[in-house]
Amino acid sequence: MSHLSVCHLGPTSYREGLVLQEGLARARADGRTGDWLLYPDHPPVLTVGRNPSPGNVVADAATLERQGIEVFEVARGGDITWHGPGQLVGYLVCDLDRQGRDLHRFLRSIEEGLIQALAALGIAARRDPGRTGVWSEGEKIASIGIAVRRWVSYHGFALNVAPDLKFFDLIHPCGLRGIHMTSVARQLGDRAPSLPEVRERVAGAMARVMEYPGWAWGEAAEVRGLALLETPVGPARNTNAA
Amino acid sequence: MPISIVVPQLGESVVEGTVAKWLKAEGDRVRKEEPLVEIQTDKINVEIPSPFEGTLSKILVPEGTTVPVGTEIAQLAGAGEAESVSAAARPAAAASASASATTATAAPAPPVPAVPATPARTEAGNGAHTDLAAAGEARNLSLAVRKIMREESVSLTEVTSISGSGVAGRVTRDDLLEYLQSRTGRPAVAGAPARAPAPAAPLPAFMAARIIEGAGGPREEMVPFTKVRRLIAENMIRSKHTAAHTHCFDEAEMGAIVALRKEWGPRLEAQGVKLTFMPFFIKAAVLALKEFPWVNGEVKGDALVVKKYYNVGLAVGREEKGLIVPNIKDCDRKNLVQLAAEVNDIAARARADRLRPDDIQGGTFSITNAGVFGAINSSPVINYPEVAILGVHKIVERPVVRDGQIVARPMMNASIGFDHRVIDGELAVKFLRRVCELLERPELLWFYA
Repeated sequence: MSHLSVCHLGPTSYREGLVLQEGLARARADGRTGDWLLYPDHPPVLTVGRNPSPGNVVADAATLERQGIEVFEVARGGDITWHGPGQLVGYLVCDLDRQGRDLHRFLRSIEEGLIQALAALGIAARRDPGRTGVWSEGEKIASIGIAVRRWVSYHGFALNVAPDLKFFDLIHPCGLRGIHMTSVARQLGDRAPSLPEVRERVAGAMARVMEYPGWAWGEAAEVRGLALLETPVGPARNTNAA
Repeated sequence: MPISIVVPQLGESVVEGTVAKWLKAEGDRVRKEEPLVEIQTDKINVEIPSPFEGTLSKILVPEGTTVPVGTEIAQLAGAGEAESVSAAARPAAAASASASATTATAAPAPPVPAVPATPARTEAGNGAHTDLAAAGEARNLSLAVRKIMREESVSLTEVTSISGSGVAGRVTRDDLLEYLQSRTGRPAVAGAPARAPAPAAPLPAFMAARIIEGAGGPREEMVPFTKVRRLIAENMIRSKHTAAHTHCFDEAEMGAIVALRKEWGPRLEAQGVKLTFMPFFIKAAVLALKEFPWVNGEVKGDALVVKKYYNVGLAVGREEKGLIVPNIKDCDRKNLVQLAAEVNDIAARARADRLRPDDIQGGTFSITNAGVFGAINSSPVINYPEVAILGVHKIVERPVVRDGQIVARPMMNASIGFDHRVIDGELAVKFLRRVCELLERPELLWFYA
């Protein structure tokens, strides 16, 4: 059983993120690569899943336009959410065969990974049965939305590390009214860890909870190659060596 | 015997699923493993592939309905039965136009996305309008039909002239293949069976208006400047009055890039990235800018500010909405595929009025492609306060002399508009030559990049 590859993609437009995920999921389903956890850094964006509730956007179109926020409709589960700077977005491109093709078990594993990572940072977070996601002191700290194609997952989770929580006022997150969002920074104040530290903690916890033998950093160039090219491009064999 | 499509087992504790989106309509052909429907449970959206090749004969559960795992949600007719099914369905579909159909078939068919507005090779401005207008007609064409249309360069107008054997006269894959067979060897228009006269291509809105006015209305029309037009006017005048505009011209043989694009275009397209020539121009320009840094500068007072980052602006024409030059950030750190994706993205957003303020600020150098409208040369105006702009144009097969022989080669003129206050002719010419050289011999990227 191979390890979990983790890659920090750096600045990634939401559109590019979609192309990369879908390409990588195809490569995974074709058996050209193993399981991946990708960390993109998205500019502010609203995304709507396949289960939207009416009136989930509070802000009017002009406000969104002025703030330069695009709205995407995506084929993942869930309602509306915001992504942007200060948030740890994690795409999980995983073969669900190793999760026993059990979608709920996969959701619970993601929640468990986030809860364990937050615990290591000093935040007591928990599940709320019936409401997928991770909660801390009654407020939501991480959202989850998954898509599955050929039994390979994509999309994933969004953990609020230190985003400007005002952005969530634009919407009713996840279509839930009266819900409050919180973040690692809000919970810990001065003791808040940096994003790179959270990336490592979360990667470690996911690998542990999903029972990978370990995890390792992968290169963004490799992800792009796997996602965008049909034939893997490797170093050419040196025929002169002999 | 129809094959049942059921909500599959999705996990131990998953007892029901919601039909989120039908990806195929009744009557659509599906290949084995082709995505058929999206089922949602909790926060997970699962694409269900078709277990066999065949025709989606009946949708039993409409979108938005939640049903227990194991429920039959659709029926599939096997590949062999497809013809009889569509034949049987035809009268029913016709009847449903007047009277409402039985509840079993009342599930609304999801709208099929229209054919991509512009076929890859369309370069003249008018082609795009015709296709856009006709796209409405294409809503009833299956993915398979549209794929063949793309591959065989069949226009929408042409397809509407084929008599369809599918539901409600719809043109099926077989109809199209049969038509193509009869068309082979004959010019496309002449070969079209004249069942229904092809509708005349509608004119772009602004052209139509002008013709009507000429036909008897007032001889002049007052078009007040929009806010955008006023800005364009101000910028153009500032640029022309401030920079000492001068132009140089060169040419590049584009055979290598044309071949690269021909080979890689379809592969990237399959991954959702349309590959135009622009990413190659950007790549070549950035490498040349690195070699000639002054060209990537800005005049500030009595000094030239030389920039070590490469935000390349692209002039995007938007008809009456007016020119705009958004830029792609840090082009030196992006590979060709990323550049292609960003070119598509930024051009689409420019046309849809969805640019962010950041998109049009911070540019360091610009490229304008007058070739998309058919120009073979131009003297572009600098996007002030930048100090130079690269003009690229239509690629044309032209006779050139190689080794003393006249041969036909795909050639492109390139031009540079530069601010002669700070850039001498020597620098401009060398820069432009390097751009052309990198386009002619992409293998040089190995040594430069």
